[in-house]
Amino acid sequence: MRLPGLAKDFFKYSLIGYILEAKSLKDSFIYAKYWALIWGSVFKLVGKLLFKRGPMGIIRELRQYPWILQLLGATRLLRRITHGRKGAYLESTGMVIHSIAVTLVEKLEEVFYQPELLLISEDLVPPEIGTAMGLKVWIVEAMGLLLPLINPEADLSFIDEAENAGMNPDSCSFVKAAVGMIIKEQMPKGSAIVSSNMPCDAALASYSYIRKKYGVPIYRIDAPYHFRSERAEKLFVTDLKGMIAFLEEHTPGRMDWERLREICEARNHMMELEVGLWDMMQASPAPLASEAVWLSHLWHFYWFPGNKVGVRLFERLAALAQKNLDAKIPAVKNEKYRAVLWNPPFPHFVDIFNQVERTYGITLIMDSLSYNHHELIDTSTPETMLKGLARIIMQGPMVRHTRGPAENYLDDIFRCYKQFNLDMVWIANHVGCKGAQALNGILREKCREMKIPLLIIDYDLLDPRIVSHEGMMNQVDDFMDNVMKARRPRSMTQ
Amino acid sequence: MNMFRELLKSPQNHLVEQAVSDGRIPIGYSCSFVPEAFLMADRLVPVRLHAPGVAGTEIADIYLSNFICTYVRSLLEFAVDDRFDLIQGWVFVPSCTHMQRLYDNLEYLKKPAFNHILDVPRKVTEATIAWQAEELRTLADKLSTHFGVDMSDDSLMKAITEWNNFAEVIQSIGELRKKPFPPITGTEFQALLMAALVSPKDLILPKILDFRKEIEQRDGVGEFRSRLMVMGSHLHDPEFIRVIESQGGLVVADLFCTGSIPGFKPVEISGNPIRSLAEHSFKKTLCPRMMEDFDRRLETIIDTVKEYRVDGVVIEIIKFCDLWGVDSMPMVSALRNEGIPVLKLEREYSMGGEGQLRTRVQAFIESMDK
Repeated sequence: MRLPGLAKDFFKYSLIGYILEAKSLKDSFIYAKYWALIWGSVFKLVGKLLFKRGPMGIIRELRQYPWILQLLGATRLLRRITHGRKGAYLESTGMVIHSIAVTLVEKLEEVFYQPELLLISEDLVPPEIGTAMGLKVWIVEAMGLLLPLINPEADLSFIDEAENAGMNPDSCSFVKAAVGMIIKEQMPKGSAIVSSNMPCDAALASYSYIRKKYGVPIYRIDAPYHFRSERAEKLFVTDLKGMIAFLEEHTPGRMDWERLREICEARNHMMELEVGLWDMMQASPAPLASEAVWLSHLWHFYWFPGNKVGVRLFERLAALAQKNLDAKIPAVKNEKYRAVLWNPPFPHFVDIFNQVERTYGITLIMDSLSYNHHELIDTSTPETMLKGLARIIMQGPMVRHTRGPAENYLDDIFRCYKQFNLDMVWIANHVGCKGAQALNGILREKCREMKIPLLIIDYDLLDPRIVSHEGMMNQVDDFMDNVMKARRPRSMTQ
Repeated sequence: MNMFRELLKSPQNHLVEQAVSDGRIPIGYSCSFVPEAFLMADRLVPVRLHAPGVAGTEIADIYLSNFICTYVRSLLEFAVDDRFDLIQGWVFVPSCTHMQRLYDNLEYLKKPAFNHILDVPRKVTEATIAWQAEELRTLADKLSTHFGVDMSDDSLMKAITEWNNFAEVIQSIGELRKKPFPPITGTEFQALLMAALVSPKDLILPKILDFRKEIEQRDGVGEFRSRLMVMGSHLHDPEFIRVIESQGGLVVADLFCTGSIPGFKPVEISGNPIRSLAEHSFKKTLCPRMMEDFDRRLETIIDTVKEYRVDGVVIEIIKFCDLWGVDSMPMVSALRNEGIPVLKLEREYSMGGEGQLRTRVQAFIESMDK
């Protein structure tokens, strides 16, 4: 890129660029606040590291984890997804990104300063247990998902590394990115690993390699296919107890049931707030949308359930939604179509929903990874807490959608469609997600019968080389033209 | 030998037809975690589902997508084409995502009167063996209610005894391949084994015994350049083995879903036949779906290499299989670390690309200086 291009790009993503574009003092203030808060988190991380380890310490950590540099682009992410957003909706987006920055810094500090307590975990093992044991849970797959939000090409070298090592190229890039990071030795190491048979074959199989590479003990939990029964819950709880015993044997962690109770209660509170938010999201037009729904859940419920930052975030999101609802202010101006995104989101094209809300008035109301309908955890005894956690995992979206009969997946879509008064279903047809692809035929026919507009977007979760952003947008445009008969208002595209 | 190959030409051969005309009930299954002995109780006949000569999977592609393994797509295509019309019940295992979705799509498109998923756990503990036993009990009750068959302990015990006798015959033939000059080719053994899996055991056993007599008289199968083991997922068509052997690589050991190692280990009978079968399901199958089985698989491969004097291992993986595709990465390096030459081949379910396969195998054998 030549100098004028670089300058233009810098200006476009800078704070000044936003202020000039926003033309609203209030929105500029909101944006500037979160811009400063995000940079504040970055400076906190660097400053503390400098203080504790000195400049050489920083260099050492950056050589070990070079991807940390990608995080410097966090405000670019903020810029990309806040384009055109105003007021409470803008604020909700800023809050989500900031909360991610704060918790990530917290996590990186654990990696730097308490490596002996690190527990390497697969993304569907309940992190509440390790945390209650005083361990620091590091989710193997998390960075693979986070980095492309900031830089769409951030995972490519990891994906290539895994494929070059012999992993089948058609397997899920979520798994390939994690394995690639491990091959490149850029993943933190821990004293033990916990993994599971969820959500898919590639994820399960990858832990044979990960265990071999780390050379530390591993415990794998096994969710049954027929998971909706007392019998299944009992089996899974027994498995969780086995995991606790394993961790007590192989790590410095010791189960603190009182701590687990606190975490579960905070998680319950987070969930109540989220359910309250969903109630408000049923209103048309919706008071908030997009990242306030999907990214908040994805980050905080999967990695930081019960963390005070997450709880505070959901309290504030609920308050913002209420504020917009009371004032009858829609999140998306001219909300025309209410959509659900089914299957994993689009990390490398995270701004797609920003683009379609401005272009077509499509508002993302819900997504499958957030769409839980389990009960609160009963915190009265250790047994009931483990049972509650077992239910959350087994009946959580990624698991119930990949287990049991097809109805678990299909009927959930129709239930969500009805519950949130939606206008269309978007299926994120991730090329590596074979289980979901194999239900598209049935889904298509059922949607036709029920007259539900269905958009199946072909893409790869983390690799934009498979389907480019332009290719993805073309699929949306074709759907809007041909199925929804929507016209693209020129003013909305600008 | 041609007789066995003849039995593989149709998804339901004349022995299955004969069984049906005798009032017996063929039950289709597609995964080795379903204990065959269980489906031999009373009038039941286990039939391993295969799709010989599948030419295209146009309908299955629409429902399952092009990213699902061709074995699964072929089965759905055959089912939609009513080529499994003699099969009266289906028993699946959620052994992988693909199989799971085959069950779903079959249920949607054909609504079989009897379609069951046996929920086999993915690790072996006391609790999961008990779970597996309960799963088998549930299936037994369902079969008994639906077909009116006797699934009592006595009936199951009889079936286990019959299966053990059968497995002993297959094993005795397989053992012949340990000889320096085996009297049977890998192609012949694969044809025999597949025919055994897709036919009623009692009807094919006399033919297998005759064949055993025949090969016991042989001195060997002629010259070969190397001894190979083939491992991987579903491999049904003996043609695949024939092409490998056409390059001088005699296949002496088979460690794949439909192979004999360790698939034909006898059921160890304890007091409770259901419990014995539950334990047997885990012992007789080596599949990467089992989360804690990597070391056992590796050890079995290494032991087999020694016992059968194997020069090199061919790993065959059906395209889009994540379990074998991902697992092969650490497996290939672990075997190479043991000094075992490995060739990894990605293939489709039906035989194709014969020229490429020949070239790869030829190069592999040469790389071993054979």
